[in-house]
Amino acid sequence: MASRLSRIWPVVSRVRWSSALGTRCVSQTPKSSAAGAAVVSDLQPVSPALQDSHGHTEVNPFETNPDFHGFHHHDSFVDEWNMRLAFFFGISVAIVIGGTFIHYLPDHGMRQWARREAERLIKQREAEGLPLMTENYYEPGKIILPSSGDE
Amino acid sequence: MLKVLVPTLMLFPTIWLSSPKWLWPTATAQSLLIAFISLAWLKWASETGWSTSNMYLATDPLSTPLLVLTCWLLPLMILASQNHIYSEPVSRQRLYITLLASLQTFLIMAFGATEVIMFYIMFEATLIPTLIIITRWGNQTERLNAGTYFLFYTLAGSLPLLVALLLLQQTTGTLSMLILQYSQPLTLDTWGHSIWWAGCLIAFLVKMPLYGVHLWLPKAHVEAPVAGSMVLAAVLLKLGGYGMMRMMIMLDPLSKELAYPFIILALWGILMTGSICLRQTDLKSLIAYSSVSHMGLVAGGILIQTPWGFTGAIILMIAHGLVSSALFCLANTAYERTHSRTMLLARGLQMVFPLTAVWWFIANLANLALPPLPNLMGEIMIITTLFSWSPWTIVLTGLGTLITAAYSLYLFLMTQRGPAPNHIKGLSPFHTREHLLMVLHLIPVILLVAKPELVWGWCH
Repeated sequence: MASRLSRIWPVVSRVRWSSALGTRCVSQTPKSSAAGAAVVSDLQPVSPALQDSHGHTEVNPFETNPDFHGFHHHDSFVDEWNMRLAFFFGISVAIVIGGTFIHYLPDHGMRQWARREAERLIKQREAEGLPLMTENYYEPGKIILPSSGDE
Repeated sequence: MLKVLVPTLMLFPTIWLSSPKWLWPTATAQSLLIAFISLAWLKWASETGWSTSNMYLATDPLSTPLLVLTCWLLPLMILASQNHIYSEPVSRQRLYITLLASLQTFLIMAFGATEVIMFYIMFEATLIPTLIIITRWGNQTERLNAGTYFLFYTLAGSLPLLVALLLLQQTTGTLSMLILQYSQPLTLDTWGHSIWWAGCLIAFLVKMPLYGVHLWLPKAHVEAPVAGSMVLAAVLLKLGGYGMMRMMIMLDPLSKELAYPFIILALWGILMTGSICLRQTDLKSLIAYSSVSHMGLVAGGILIQTPWGFTGAIILMIAHGLVSSALFCLANTAYERTHSRTMLLARGLQMVFPLTAVWWFIANLANLALPPLPNLMGEIMIITTLFSWSPWTIVLTGLGTLITAAYSLYLFLMTQRGPAPNHIKGLSPFHTREHLLMVLHLIPVILLVAKPELVWGWCH
């Protein structure tokens, strides 16, 4: 019995029994004001204004569940799984996989192709010494105008 | 279209048949899956125009970004509401999520509608869940007044729209947008036609809102619970912009002169509502007036009817939707902790919540249109097109940009900087849920920098 205990003692002694048993330890180090402001102080008497119609007070959910994620106030299992689902479907599926899908969408309206083609043509024409673009869109010789004069 | 609509309709059985413990996780997961599927709409099948498998519901590069935004917003609304609703009885929680899901359904059908009357019916239908959310779950007595203003302002604008649409149906024989885009321009030369023109647009101008008819917005946004504010700011205002862009095609020759007073009103509204923002003490009211200011710019861009104007309007609508919703979520986190919206009462939050200060910072930078975020791209395109219409508008829009930067900075400094107030003894730490909510708002805005052609619309 003593040999068994001596084998598991290092592990056992490291467990924080007080937190496992549900009691709270009061830290003796003086808190800085910033840290103190972020923790709901339980040094104040509970005023009637803080109580709802049933006489319950605003309980800090972090006291019953230090790993409270903000999803379910009383059941830490549901709270944790809600967090996991929200992160998985929100970030891993919607943003990551969705973002990959969007990244690989085809070039709609050939806009990127048009930019690449223009750059290629500019490079080619500058190398050959040609003007980048002809001034007239239509050939002037092919335009047939009505004769001036009364119709 | 059905691959998104049917899962959305299936949200109703999910909500009512889930066990109370698993209601919120399943609703969140299903709505996120719907948002993921909605991204498939971004693959446009045709080079130009509508992608459709039937005649009644279709998507095109204008409606797709708004549809994706709508589908993205439902899970965000569910995440945001989870905390303040948890203390209510389960059937009321189910009813709340049902209202959000029904809003989603109506909005998908509105943005996907090809028939203008279907769009009108869905436009009106979205009023009902929103009214119920504002008046039933708002936190102050003013919510009744807010609901009344919201409902009757919109209805007063949309009754002329109904008459105008029926008249259009009589004249052209059809109200399908697929056909109307190819119809002959109408001869619009009488006073009656001018009134018809105004009737077509007033409903959307009230919804946007245009400056003179904007009074419903601060009330509705402030009194609504967080999900109501989010959906109002992010999507319902854009219904007005979207409707205007669709109607403009048919209204053409008259719009050249008749749009003049409305453009000026919109531009003046930017300055006025921006200045009002600088004088606000109520946090949500400031964000609400900032929405009016941005939407004034969008209204100006749409009424100008140039390709850049339309493109800038769409970009700004999407970017503003995400950022404004993010700001309302941040304001709600402060409200849930201090139960007050007064900015003076909850300041210096950067010392208390440093990571949240990062979200406040990014959201405010986006609101003041910092490059390279899409907010700036939209604003610059609208400002440029207004300048080419009349150089004098640069005075109004430039001053507007300056005032926007001023009140965004004011918002950030008032809530985050400075010493934490002495009267606050303790603030509950930030939840993982709230951080996730902010990340899901801001990452799409940042990702849009990389691929803005998703939201350029069909003019570019």
